[in-house]
Amino acid sequence: MRLCIGIVAAMSAQFSPPRRRPGALKRLVGPLVKPDVFDFWSTRLHRTWTWDRPMARLVAREAASADAVTLLLRPNRHWAGHRAGQHVNLGVEIGGVRVTRSYSLTAPPRADGLLPVTVKAIEGGRVSNHLCREARLGEVFELGQAFGDMTLPEAPTDAPRLLLAAGSGITPMIALARELAARGMPGETTLLYWVRRREEACFLDELRALAAAHPRFRFRLLLTRQAAASPDEGEGRIDAASLEDSLAGPAQMHAMACGPGGFVEAARALLAGRVAAFQAEAFTLPPRAVAEDGEVEVRLQRSGRTLRLARGLSLLEALEAQGLKPDSGCRMGICNSCACGKAGGSVRHLPSGELAHEPTQALKLCIHSAATDLELDL
Amino acid sequence: MSTRTSAARNRRLNAEELDRFGEELDALRARTVATLGTRDARYIRNIVKAVRYANLAGRALLFAAAVAGGLWLADSAVGWLFWVLWAAGALMLGLGKILDNMELGHNVIHGQYDWMGDPQLNGRTYDWDIVATAENWRYTHNFRHHTYTNVRGLDDDIGYGLLRIFPEQKWKPFYLLQPAVAVVFALYFQWGVAIQNLKLGRWWHGKMSTRQLRVKSAPVVRKMGKQLAKDYVVYPALAGPFFLPVLLGNLVANGLRNVWTYVIIFCGHFTADAETFPKECVKNESRGHWYLRQLRGSSNIRGGFLINVLSGNLSHQIEHHFFPDVPANRYAEMAREVRAICARYGQHYNTGTLFTQFGQVCWRILRHAFPSRPRRMASLVPAEAAA
Repeated sequence: MRLCIGIVAAMSAQFSPPRRRPGALKRLVGPLVKPDVFDFWSTRLHRTWTWDRPMARLVAREAASADAVTLLLRPNRHWAGHRAGQHVNLGVEIGGVRVTRSYSLTAPPRADGLLPVTVKAIEGGRVSNHLCREARLGEVFELGQAFGDMTLPEAPTDAPRLLLAAGSGITPMIALARELAARGMPGETTLLYWVRRREEACFLDELRALAAAHPRFRFRLLLTRQAAASPDEGEGRIDAASLEDSLAGPAQMHAMACGPGGFVEAARALLAGRVAAFQAEAFTLPPRAVAEDGEVEVRLQRSGRTLRLARGLSLLEALEAQGLKPDSGCRMGICNSCACGKAGGSVRHLPSGELAHEPTQALKLCIHSAATDLELDL
Repeated sequence: MSTRTSAARNRRLNAEELDRFGEELDALRARTVATLGTRDARYIRNIVKAVRYANLAGRALLFAAAVAGGLWLADSAVGWLFWVLWAAGALMLGLGKILDNMELGHNVIHGQYDWMGDPQLNGRTYDWDIVATAENWRYTHNFRHHTYTNVRGLDDDIGYGLLRIFPEQKWKPFYLLQPAVAVVFALYFQWGVAIQNLKLGRWWHGKMSTRQLRVKSAPVVRKMGKQLAKDYVVYPALAGPFFLPVLLGNLVANGLRNVWTYVIIFCGHFTADAETFPKECVKNESRGHWYLRQLRGSSNIRGGFLINVLSGNLSHQIEHHFFPDVPANRYAEMAREVRAICARYGQHYNTGTLFTQFGQVCWRILRHAFPSRPRRMASLVPAEAAA
């Protein structure tokens, strides 16, 4: 299973340069500069100095739980900042391949400018294992700009809040909790955190300390494969009973949930009609089994269209059957004219029949078919 | 060597053999792609490094030659040093441009390193240091030339609309001039490549309006202006009053690159044994047939590491045409297996030294300047296999 702390749903923010207007000097010399040549020489002076690509350097790493570490990253000047609850794409080079994963930033903007992300080592997870064990201090990652809408308003109201996290879903929630604490906890806030076992929980001491320090902050740890051992602990998966206490007050509750897809859906169903607002972000997991036929939903990012395409056809044929004319050439996988970025979903390489799950990956439309719902850079 | 002997060297394959031939090559491709990794990433990044340092060294040497030459070198006893610096600078810059053009640009634009996910080595967005736009190249080269290699009427690289290389091309009196035309074409090769997709012939014959041509040529003209400004205005201007040696050095470096790329590319498809094919050939073409056509239309250059790197591994033109999107640094090791497969299927593997291969190209250019008649060639495969 490949799952990382963070969100792989909204990948459209990819690695675009900041939209800030460049300075006068940069605008003056811009036409004379080839960014790749500039980056080659500037990164020789300092490893994260680039023309316009946001990059980050690993400056510290500390254990966050039995199997998770917190990485502190120093972004370069092209990082445009973030808000608590947002996520970021990290491009990590492993075996010559740049692999991209999304991680939630676990704190509001810090005074020292460092970005904290907490990564859980997953069995067989290439990126998480690299980040948790192999990455050396000083290693440089490609950085995307922050994205995600599960944030607090500029001036948080005193409306009660319900934060639900499962497993890795704690990462944006701890950022929100820290942000609320820094603002003096403006409203009643409850954080419910589901994990299998206590030792897998991250930020446990800090969350308990927050609960002790702020009377308006309530924290509960819910264990699904262990017995509860203290008053702020409970047992079992998310269900109506586990939410009942929190929903007892007035119905002005603003709820946020983050975790695996199933968890988020369960939360959505349980809270439907009982809260004033519900925001959620879910992890996407690589599919366990992929059907051979039928249709999938394909979202085209640039044109904003969503189509239903047959699984059996090559993506090129399927798109053409819908009246689209994507660039193409040889139709046999050699000329690269139909190469196209993929932001999410799995495809099948038709000549070999192999599945490719890597979310950000260049693919050739003429020799790949859709295996799951897809998001394409078209 | 004539086409007759080459045909005699090739066993005719039946449909089933052709399929197996294709399957073996597909399997070789899959085996290679499965092992792509750190080694290949390091290789292409080293090439990037070589290009950047060679360009820097070349430009610095030219600049040093110009300024030192202008200030005191010319009047001193070591005046010859100017020429040494200048020649070294022009050579270095030429080397940088050759590497940028061949081993880096050509291969990256094929998408050979797309699997790395590095936005600066992406085939769809990469641009190179020559006047031809990468956009047009992706069409004329990656698609047309590589899909329809040496197919008459589909692959514009056969003589580039300027030269008669094969007897199957219709003779015109203009071709009597082609030995001279070929030399000029070599010196300005990047310009020929740049305008290839504009199809000026169609405009000349009234098949395309001037307005259509203007729209089509706008990006090409922009790129040309950029390249000219860089090498003949901006860099010379940095040397102030001593601009002339810099300008001439850049001209020589571009010329060196033009001639070298011309030599390598012509050796790839215009040697004595290389064949061209009629259009009917590609109708319902099987994978095996496509491979066979690539083999018969391509020729390698025998040489060591240096020839491989400087030719952008087009010294393995056959492997490149079999696997145009596999990283070129793998061709040398794939070549051993490709040769063995070709031998098993009784197919001639066209290779020779740069000297012999280019000698054959020159002979073709001279010979077919004059009227010549194609020999009767057997079709690529027996009729029933093609059906």
